[in-house]
Amino acid sequence: MDLDKLRKTAAEVVSRDDVKYLIGWRRGTFGYRVAPHFIEDAAGVDELIFSPLCIANLANYLTLTEKLPVPRGQEADTRKVALLVKGCDSRAVAQLIVEKGIKREDVVVIGMPCPGMIDWKLLAERYPETDVAAEIGWKGEDFLLVRGEEEITIPRAEVLAEKCRLCRHPNPVLSDITIGEAVEPWAVAEDSGVAEIEAKETAERWDYWEEQFSKCIRCYSCRNACPLCYCEDCILDRLDPIWVNRAVNFSENTAFHLARAFHLAGRCVECGECERVCPVGIPLGKLNRKLARTVREEYGFEPGLDPEAEPFQASFKPDDPEEFIL
Amino acid sequence: MSEQFKPNIVAFLCNWCTYAGADLAGTSRIQYPANVKIIRVMCSGRVNPLYVVNALQQGADGVLISGCHPGDCHYMEGNYYARRRLKLLKELLEFTGVDPRRFNMSWVSASEGHKWKEVVEKAVEDAIAAGPFDQFRRRQIGW
Repeated sequence: MDLDKLRKTAAEVVSRDDVKYLIGWRRGTFGYRVAPHFIEDAAGVDELIFSPLCIANLANYLTLTEKLPVPRGQEADTRKVALLVKGCDSRAVAQLIVEKGIKREDVVVIGMPCPGMIDWKLLAERYPETDVAAEIGWKGEDFLLVRGEEEITIPRAEVLAEKCRLCRHPNPVLSDITIGEAVEPWAVAEDSGVAEIEAKETAERWDYWEEQFSKCIRCYSCRNACPLCYCEDCILDRLDPIWVNRAVNFSENTAFHLARAFHLAGRCVECGECERVCPVGIPLGKLNRKLARTVREEYGFEPGLDPEAEPFQASFKPDDPEEFIL
Repeated sequence: MSEQFKPNIVAFLCNWCTYAGADLAGTSRIQYPANVKIIRVMCSGRVNPLYVVNALQQGADGVLISGCHPGDCHYMEGNYYARRRLKLLKELLEFTGVDPRRFNMSWVSASEGHKWKEVVEKAVEDAIAAGPFDQFRRRQIGW
């Protein structure tokens, strides 16, 4: 990854008159942590990074931005937001455009082909975080960890994030500016996490999810981190009607997780944010990937590949499968 | 169990086809199990999948959704949307370990009183085979 080129491009983009700010990544405060970085002028680009730890999906910030009412006599700020995206993030942007959550002309998409990201929890298990600042980069197929004098090559399979292992679109599907060479999509094995659950008996599946959903503390991080959960009036917040009670117990947790997974059916771009931010480690990605696979295999549809596509659940084909209907 | 288990089935029927079909079954004196509680909705496309989740939470042992045959929808395309949506819901429920027999969907037109009877018999049979569904019951707050 050519960091100089990235910073130079970023500086050019933020200097443009029609760009409000650029959202990228910078080093976090400790260890392997990476934080989002909002750059408003060219001075901020020095902190900008793109490393295998930049796993967070920044597309979420496009819809999180507070839209304050414009004071009388002032004009609304119609400048664009520039965004650094990986393959999965670009799909989220495309899906947001499909759903008219954002307008194409309101974003400047800076695409970066992504050779795969590291799950920092796996990394920290093997190489605990220290006070010494760590630099991590790609080295061929593998990852290279440089920490002071140490230089460690980490095999790809050891620390690659699960979502990246199953990634089929490492290159951005849409971008105004592309930095770096396109990467060759890698062979994707079968989704073992989903297949494992499918192989279980019905009652065993229920027990598995009962154990998982019982852990839920209903912090709604999964919803908040999801780039595609941006309804202003979320059913989880509604008091009339109360779709899901607020009590934290197994029944309500299950209803919540079913609702969340269902609302992402045919929309989820498998960026893995929900699972990554979950403080109690519920494998939410499995629910999403299961539905995404159904949509892909039975309807031949993949969300977030074409900004002109019709939303999956708001369209139909007369010959959709209906073998389950009596 | 000394008494045979009587399942509780919530049926969401579309106003234009299946509700009329169930009505026809009634006026034709067709005998069918009395375990279904019918809720009339204007279209099967109006059935929010969360209705199903909610019904299961509130003590239903099975859910049945029925509407017009594809192409016959009063609103032209409502049942096509319902078909997509509820297929995904069925997959999701199955994946989370809800017995697939608890969820049935059918197309019954206004003239198919006999088909309605068969559908209900099948749904009841399925729900009996799946047994009572208490695990998902909404917990009552007692104070």
